[in-house]
Amino acid sequence: MSESILSIRNLVKTYPNGVQALKGVNIDVKKGEFLVVIGLSGSGKSTLLRCINRLHSPTSGEILFGGKDIAKAVGTTDIRELRREIGMIFQHFNLIPRHTVLSNVLMGRLGDTSTLKSMLGLWSPEDKAKAIEYLRLVGIAEKAKIRADQLSGGQQQRVAIARALTQDPQILLADEPVASLDPATCHTVMDYLRKVNRELGITVIANLHFLSLVREYATRVVALKAGEVVYEGSPSNINDSWFERIYGEGAKEVHIN
Amino acid sequence: MTSSFIRRTVFDSITFGFLLCVALIAIAQPTEAQMLELGKNTAIFFVALGLGGVLSFVLNELAKVKTLGESIFAPAYKKAQAEETSWYKTFSGWQLAITLTVTLVVAIFKTRFSMYELLNEDGFAGAVRLFQGLLSPNFALLPKAVLNIIETIFMAFLATALAIPIAFVLSFFSAKNIMQGPVSFPIYLFLRTLMNITRSIEALIWAIIFSVWVGIGPFAGMLALMIHSIASLTKQYSEMVEVVSEGPIEGVQSTGANKLQMIWFAIVPQVILPYISFTVYRWDINVRMATIIGLVGGGGIGTMLMQYQGQAMWPEVGCIILVIAVVVWAMDQASAYLREALK
Repeated sequence: MSESILSIRNLVKTYPNGVQALKGVNIDVKKGEFLVVIGLSGSGKSTLLRCINRLHSPTSGEILFGGKDIAKAVGTTDIRELRREIGMIFQHFNLIPRHTVLSNVLMGRLGDTSTLKSMLGLWSPEDKAKAIEYLRLVGIAEKAKIRADQLSGGQQQRVAIARALTQDPQILLADEPVASLDPATCHTVMDYLRKVNRELGITVIANLHFLSLVREYATRVVALKAGEVVYEGSPSNINDSWFERIYGEGAKEVHIN
Repeated sequence: MTSSFIRRTVFDSITFGFLLCVALIAIAQPTEAQMLELGKNTAIFFVALGLGGVLSFVLNELAKVKTLGESIFAPAYKKAQAEETSWYKTFSGWQLAITLTVTLVVAIFKTRFSMYELLNEDGFAGAVRLFQGLLSPNFALLPKAVLNIIETIFMAFLATALAIPIAFVLSFFSAKNIMQGPVSFPIYLFLRTLMNITRSIEALIWAIIFSVWVGIGPFAGMLALMIHSIASLTKQYSEMVEVVSEGPIEGVQSTGANKLQMIWFAIVPQVILPYISFTVYRWDINVRMATIIGLVGGGGIGTMLMQYQGQAMWPEVGCIILVIAVVVWAMDQASAYLREALK
């Protein structure tokens, strides 16, 4: 548990419009943990995750992963290499609505498939078997032939998890994975994320809004405020005074069951 | 502030400058030869524009009178402060009314609009003869007309079909959202400009160019339509690419897909239906344009129409027009029906 898989050092991200989303963030992510990042909207949570798989390019600082500083990776090949190791799921699932569930999950193999083969839909039998296997893991294998936009939000997010797993990632990034779901579905999706974390040993880094979920699922918490880390530690230690520190004075905790 | 100031000044200098020029012509009554002195007249025009710009500045900034340019291009916060007044109590209302009236009068002079000609007995009798001919079509010509319109339809079809793959590929290169790199952006700008220039040259002109190049006939017409279709489809296609939702793109990118895979899996599914819809519509437009292009030697029914019209054989022309109308109507209906279903 103590071995570090990802080290973020002095990470700074300034957007072209001058907004400084991250102001020198330092985080060590340990192998196999379920790390949850909390903070107000605009505190830099999403930016942090997107810097890790380089959907955004950091302005300065280091991200050490697999013995390399991936913050400096500039070549598109390097970046794609890195993204293959890091799966991601999104608040709005980001599936391709017109494609079937299976086809969406197979997209997890894009990084390992030649352009021509993937465009012609010539997926290898192993890839297909893997896709089905992960669909089964998230309990949705019977929907494989259905178009993705026919599914409910929770089901779509499970498809997105299967897509990310098909990459065989070492890390799974989850950017507010349950923010557009109803409370009941929330727990189903979070349970699958925990299953991925515990059974497959994949390190999960998730952004979450609800502290009740954080307390239930996180093994460790990092809180960001205005682009800086203001708390790091166990979820159970976040008491009322910490809560006010993180979310600002007068903020009230909302419970989700 | 600066941008709205520039727009206001340009707008006002054109309206005031135009009025000044018209007034000058009305007063000085220049001769035909004087009107043809382009260099001198351009200079006068620009002086008038300059005076217009100065007038705009004096009115707005010194006299505190709001000109039309100011009331159109003022920034939103200034517009919000403006008081409601009836148009005839404002300077800008009068500026608009006078400019429009003067433009109308000049247009009537320029087009030599004449009630006398319109109601001239001889001319009217000619028109009646023409209509009589058109309304009693000579159906002996029908087989030939049908053969020719088939040529036209296929000309339009081939032009569309050849334009599709080219426009498909070009559309991604001329979409701003995926051409952001230091190399990509200049390519985007170049393509955009090229397509705009190509599109602003009418298919009719292209037909003339190609009929000189490859000879009069349907091939020249097809090439003209193709060039025009490529430019139009590229624009329409790339506009669709520019409004795709970002989510699926991120989703596919996060799996380690390369750019081509990203376009194929994240963008193409989002744009394919509008693409088909635009393409069907373009074929429909091309059938109509192919007829016109035939008039300048692009082959097909248009060329045939030109021949009979030149000999004033109105019953034959009537038959040809009837065939064109039926086909255009049918294409229009079919394409509307298809596009509706594809929404």
